[in-house]
This record gives sequence, structure tokens and C-alpha cells, in this order.
Amino acid sequence: MMVRERKTERRADSDSRDTTDATVAVRFEGLTKHFGGVCAVDHLDLEIRQGETVALLGPNGAGKTTTVSMLLGLLAPDAGDVSVLGMSPEAAIQSGRIGAMLQEGGLMPGISIGELLNFVLALRTSPFTRAQLVAMAGLDGLERRRVDRLSGGQTQRLRFALAIASEPEILVLDEPTAAMDVEARHNFWANMRSYTSAGRTVLFATHYLEEAEAFASRVVIISRGRIVADGTVAELKRRAGAQTVHFLADERAQASLSGLAGVSRVERQGERVTLTTNDIDTTVRALVGSHVDWRNLEVRSPNLDDIFMALVSNGQ
Amino acid sequence: MTSYLRLEVLRALRDPKYLILAVLAPIGFYLLFATLFGGQSTGSAHITVQAALMVSMSMYGAMWAVMSATGPRIAQDRTIGWTRQMRLLPIRTANTLIARLIAAVALAGPAIVLVMLTAVFAKGVTLDDAWRWAVLLALLWLGSIPIALLGIAIGYSIGPEVAFGVLYALYLALSALGGLWMPISIMPSGMQAVGKLLPSYRAASMGWRLIGGKPFDASDALILVGWAVVFSLVALFFASRRANSR
Repeated sequence: MMVRERKTERRADSDSRDTTDATVAVRFEGLTKHFGGVCAVDHLDLEIRQGETVALLGPNGAGKTTTVSMLLGLLAPDAGDVSVLGMSPEAAIQSGRIGAMLQEGGLMPGISIGELLNFVLALRTSPFTRAQLVAMAGLDGLERRRVDRLSGGQTQRLRFALAIASEPEILVLDEPTAAMDVEARHNFWANMRSYTSAGRTVLFATHYLEEAEAFASRVVIISRGRIVADGTVAELKRRAGAQTVHFLADERAQASLSGLAGVSRVERQGERVTLTTNDIDTTVRALVGSHVDWRNLEVRSPNLDDIFMALVSNGQ
Repeated sequence: MTSYLRLEVLRALRDPKYLILAVLAPIGFYLLFATLFGGQSTGSAHITVQAALMVSMSMYGAMWAVMSATGPRIAQDRTIGWTRQMRLLPIRTANTLIARLIAAVALAGPAIVLVMLTAVFAKGVTLDDAWRWAVLLALLWLGSIPIALLGIAIGYSIGPEVAFGVLYALYLALSALGGLWMPISIMPSGMQAVGKLLPSYRAASMGWRLIGGKPFDASDALILVGWAVVFSLVALFFASRRANSR
């Protein structure tokens, strides 16, 4: 936890663009991609420094997968430039310094997990033994299982093993937990966390805000191929300004609520009151100090939809 | 590359279709045809029907071994995303293609050798010199390379639902017109002219000439190399086009 907090601070301090290339893991410059008449990625500029854990957040169709595909050299951009550790994506992949797990990266049928792992371990870049890789990806006891007879979660773990086999400095994950149940998702992030604790760089696309919040030091939100927000989860929530306080109160006491500090909006439905606030701490303190006889107090943070709607409707 | 080669071979050997269609079917057809037509003349005093059929059926099995190991699998791998997944690993696409080609040709080995063994032990086929066996194996093996490249080209150009059917149809056409099922000399002249251009005929022809004591014919090799070049270009064209699409 300490390490991640420090990382966040460093990022906040280094807003000035004085970083040298040695610390840049990924750089997009004016990245653009059209499919037919649709602009999937629109002049995207982004720089990710080594050691950052970045969540690429956005609704379906925002351009996440297209961006990731260009980062990995699977798609050629129409315009703009991608560099990975100062190299082309293809060169970075061939050197084993970037690894990736795709949403739909099918695996060769008809062979066992162990045989597939032997193959990736035989590629010159892998520093691991098979036992190490099995342990890191949580594939214990599954080595003899056929690749085409795995559950969704097991398949994802195997894809994770393939992604980290060359011990890449940069790990790219496109919706890694989309096919997993809650427990599998939890285990996946635990494996992930232990792999990345050594200061490795991670970029993951997701549409789960909780995952971004729990795992990312930085969140980049994209919509229609453009970046609409870039910062920590806390910063984004603050910018979205949509935290709410919910409680029940006697209808006669409700008149004084709009005067409370920080409150921008009051909604009432019988006893049920919802306060929208820009400063949750001030509002709650004011509410406690007031004479309102409230009960069942609940503070709600905006979810991704709220943040997203707020950012997009802010005229960006 | 060898590690990928091993995966492709393992995968094919576990597929019962390989054993049935590429190994058992040619042996069965060999025994059937050699028994039915064994007493007839081949038009050459030097070569028996049993020996000529041995070459035909070896090639017949080798062809399916290389076609089934390439086309349907490549088409399937593209569809499920394995081809894409491999582009994220530190292995070059060209190397995986070469590994696929070598794996396919290696899988032709058992098909050829087992028909030969059947011919020797069940039908008493002999060749003039022991070295001719080795050369025959080598020639049929080399002759299956253009067919494997055809399989790769098909695998990259069409989808998995139709790849198997298209390849099987091509397999039967190449076998029949190429004179593997019946001597090309009994076909109408138009069919003969087409048949003699086919890689299946030319590969088997190298074998027939060898066991018949005739000199090596350079046109066999030239036509096979020509097909290899054509199929390689088609394969590369589609493979590179796929690489640039979503």
C-alpha cells in the first residue's frame, strides 16, 4: 500500500513534462484510427511512466480495445505514433519487454496447459521455470488439463501466464476479468498485484470502476476515442462533484436543508432526502451540527456512469 | 521454433481424423486396390501394380496429412484468436509459419512409411536396391511440400467452416485427376493434360520413375517448384492482409 501511495504522489508532482525518455514506458502521440467512416481513436496523446498502474476506463465502443491493439502493434494507426520503451510495439514484443492479455485471445486447442507453457518458456526471453509460472498464474494442479476444456477463469489465468512468461516490464490487459465470477476476479487481482509489486508498469482497460479504484494509481477515461479525464480516482470523483448524502427525515425539518454548507441540490420524496454536495466532509459535519432529526444516513460516491456523465456533459 | 513445431505435431497426432484419413484410409485403399488389380499389367515390365499403387497411396496419405495439418487448423486459429495471441509472444510470425510447414510435412512421414511397410509385408513389393526406398521416401516427402503450402494458403484465405470442405474437395480432385486412383494413361486426353500439370501427379511421377528405373525428369521438379512458389505467394498475400485487419 505504501508503495502505491508514493507512486500517486510522484505522479501528481511531475505534471511538468520534464521527464526523460528513460522513464517513459508508453507514449501515444496524435494516435488516430478510423474504421470505415467511424473515428475509433481520435488524436490521442498519452504518456505512461514506468511503474505506473493505469486504468483505461470507458464505456463499450469508447476506443479502449482499438487503443490497446495499436499499443501492441496488432493494428496500424492511420496517423500518429506509438512508442513502447522508445521502441516500436513489434520490437518491444519481440524483446519480451511488453506482455499482453487480450479479451479474446484464443488458445491453441488440442494440447495441455503444461505443453503450452513449455512452448512459451522455450521462447528465448523467459527467465522462469514452469513451476514458477504455474504458481504465479495460479494454475496449480491444472497442467495436464486440455486447453480447450477450461472454465472462463482458468482460461484467463492461462492467458495471464502467457502474458507474463517473458517477465515483461510492461503488462497490458484488455478487460482481463470480463469472463470471471467474483471469486476468480479477486484471485486474479491478487496474482496481478504480486506480479506488479516489483515496480512494473501496467495498463489495463476495464469498465469496472471498482477495479480501477482498487488497483490503479491513475485513471484515464476515454470516450469516442478521446481522453476526457486523467487523474487518480479520488481526483476524478472530486471533479465529477457528484457525491450524495441520503437519509430519512421528518418532512417539517427539511426546509433548512438547502442552506447546509456544500449542498448544491436537495431532492425530497416524502421522508427520503438526497443531498448532492461538492464537499462531502463539510456537508456531513454541517448535517451533524444541525437540528435536523435524520436517520439511516448513507454517503454514496459516484459510480463510473455518474463520473462519466458528469465529465462528458461538462462540455468536453 | 522447434517448441512450436512440437505443439503442432502433438495437436495433429491427437486428432483422430489424422489417424483415420491420412494413415488408415490409404493403407485400406492400398490393400483393396492391390488385391483387386494386382494381376494386371502396368504397361511397364519393370514395375508391378502393387509397387505403382504403393507410390500412389503413399502420396494420397501424405497429401491429406499435410492438408489437414495446415488449412483447417490455420483457419480455426485465426477465428479463435490464437494467431493474434501468438503475435503478442516473442516469436516471429514467419517462424511460426515455417514451423507449421515443417510439422505438416513431418506428419506426412508416417502416412508414407506405413503404406510402404504394408506393401512390403502384405504384398511382397520389392525395389531393385535398398537405397531406392530412402530416395522414394525423400521424393514423396518433398513432393508434399507444395500441397502443404496450398493448405496454408487456403487456411489464410477462407474461414474454418468452409476450409475443411474446400480442402477435402481439392484433395479428392488432386488425387483423382493426378492419377493416384487410376493410371493417368487411361483418362481422356483433356483430363490427362490437366492431370499432368498437377502437383499430385508430379510428386507421384517422381516416385513411379524411380521404382521403374527411369531417369529423374526435371519437369516434375520444375512444376512442383512452380506450384510451391504460387501457393507461397497466395499464402503470403492473405497472411499479410490478415495481419493488417482488425
